[in-house]
Amino acid sequence: MQHDDNTTRRTVLAVAAGGAAVAASGAARAQQPGAKGPLVWLDMDQQALDDAYDQVVYAPNREQVAKRRIANSDKARAVIGAPERRAYGPSEIEKLDIYRTKQANAPVNIFIHGGAWRANRAADYACLAEPFVKAGGHYVILDFTNVDDAGGSLFPMIEQVRRAVGWVYNNAASFGGDPSRLYLSSHSSGSHLGGCVVTHDWRKDNLPVDILKGATLSSGMYDLKPVRLSKRSKYVKFTDEMEEALSAQRHLDRLNLPLVLAYGTYETPEFQRQTRDFYAAVKAAGKPVELLVGEGYNHFEMLETLANPYGLLGRAALAQMGLTPAA
Amino acid sequence: MPSSDDLSGSRITRRALVGSGAVVLGAGGPALAQRAAQPPRAKGPVVWLDMDQQELDDAYDQIVYAPNRDHILKRCTRNSEIVRERLGAPKRFAYGTGPMEALDVFTTKAANAPVNVFVHGGAWRTGLAVNYAYAAEMFVNAGAHHVVLDFNNVLETGGDLMVMAQQVRSGVAWVYRNAASFGGDAERLYVCGHSSGGHLAGVLLTTDWQKDFGLPPGLIKGGVCGSGMFDLKPARLSKRSEYVKFTDETEDKLSPQRHLDQLVAPVHLVYGTLETPEFQRQSRDFAAAAKAAGKQVALSVMESCNHFEVMEQLGNPYSLFGRAVLEQMRLAPA
Repeated sequence: MQHDDNTTRRTVLAVAAGGAAVAASGAARAQQPGAKGPLVWLDMDQQALDDAYDQVVYAPNREQVAKRRIANSDKARAVIGAPERRAYGPSEIEKLDIYRTKQANAPVNIFIHGGAWRANRAADYACLAEPFVKAGGHYVILDFTNVDDAGGSLFPMIEQVRRAVGWVYNNAASFGGDPSRLYLSSHSSGSHLGGCVVTHDWRKDNLPVDILKGATLSSGMYDLKPVRLSKRSKYVKFTDEMEEALSAQRHLDRLNLPLVLAYGTYETPEFQRQTRDFYAAVKAAGKPVELLVGEGYNHFEMLETLANPYGLLGRAALAQMGLTPAA
Repeated sequence: MPSSDDLSGSRITRRALVGSGAVVLGAGGPALAQRAAQPPRAKGPVVWLDMDQQELDDAYDQIVYAPNRDHILKRCTRNSEIVRERLGAPKRFAYGTGPMEALDVFTTKAANAPVNVFVHGGAWRTGLAVNYAYAAEMFVNAGAHHVVLDFNNVLETGGDLMVMAQQVRSGVAWVYRNAASFGGDAERLYVCGHSSGGHLAGVLLTTDWQKDFGLPPGLIKGGVCGSGMFDLKPARLSKRSEYVKFTDETEDKLSPQRHLDQLVAPVHLVYGTLETPEFQRQSRDFAAAAKAAGKQVALSVMESCNHFEVMEQLGNPYSLFGRAVLEQMRLAPA
């Protein structure tokens, strides 16, 4: 009887989003009065670019969706059990949660969470696991450091995530996984990291170049230049090297797995464009890629479709693994 | 698998039990829900519980508490198109003579399969079956036929809800009599609905089938009512009476909570914590009343979901709504 008082379980969205902006939930923000400033990126002035890299401006229900995800993750663990938590590196955060399917030698999907590189933890994404586990795949959710703890550098995060993928490859058999069937799924800044993972030169790590057999990347960033020009540079210490090395779209020669890319029509202009441009570039490079557009979904609502085997992302990620919904 | 049909099941971690949400009567305010902060206003005379007219009107106006209504309706429409692209067009049958007295059947491959009949919402005045097909693939893959009813809306019936109730009852009676024609098992007929469709599903579950249709009293084997209304008195007191011509007869006959003696099937109520105060209270009160009457009833509370966010989760077998329906039909994955 854990549900005791509804009033304690509600989100006060209005506090975060305020007034009329709430009514636009998922759509474009209310227009600000004032003259447009000098263009800093495409047709955007600084304010427009900053807004385009600030999800809550376009998704005022962010806190509500996050709260729901955390509650649903608690419920999911009550149904499918606690994950097996393993360390992929020496530091405290270098751990991953394995939600195991019953099938032996089963394919594995590795999830990289988002949070503007600054927030969130693996435990609060357990709600994504059940469709995979029930359909016959293991679901592995990564923990990794954040940009604030990393002194403003994105390199430690990407290095950890790559190392975690290598760990899964080397240790899959220990939890009933088939190392020759590893897949990736990710959201938001997790898809930025995912883009870096799928364009990594695995030979440097003595791992097979085709270590991953497919990836479903939703709502990501694949070229960091406009991000660097935005207010995100207040907490990310971008350098020329970082921008170049961690812009997946500039390293398509190393891409050798089928990609599914997705965004929602209520995402910010930049988060729509980033995926569209990455898709076009991958296609122009002659690589296998599919584009999914979630009509009527904002940034955070897109991820919820991964928790549904009949949702836009859930269906795509399962299909990539050759799995069909259990029910 | 524990039964989902009673309140003593072992899966209490996924449910709020009747009576545990003890704070029932609060009218709610800006701090309690998703709605935006309101300017200060002098409270008028109390018309229902502790609500004045404005508060009651707001509590029966979904968009006040769910400002993203139209976005969710849009994506349910699109997701219904996607389902048809994948499953093909449904079979369409007439259950009556009027143009809206027809239903869509998405058939499963299994022979003699159970049937789920869905009643859409829309405040009784909007909605078409074609835009509520989004859950069909879940049912079909799980081994059930999915029937989506069309029926007239209250604007077309001159404000009369009795006509709508009679239509959805006739739709269910048609399915019972004709299930075999599309491979359905008439003895495994279930209903679900959402919002005003949750109200109508409640009406179906408290219909006297023997008296009104000459059919067995237990023809419905279970029902799931999402975000419904089960006593029409407060709806009648609200601004909904501007377009619904409530009468004493309508209010009484179409308040399922007043006809619990007719309730013979297990019922599962679902609502979200960001719904209007009244749409939370209605499900809680109906669950409590059904339980007090010794009926099989379960209640699932979807955290941080508003009215329409509950609705779209019918299409997710791992949501509380989708789970409730599949478990009731004994179709849930192990």
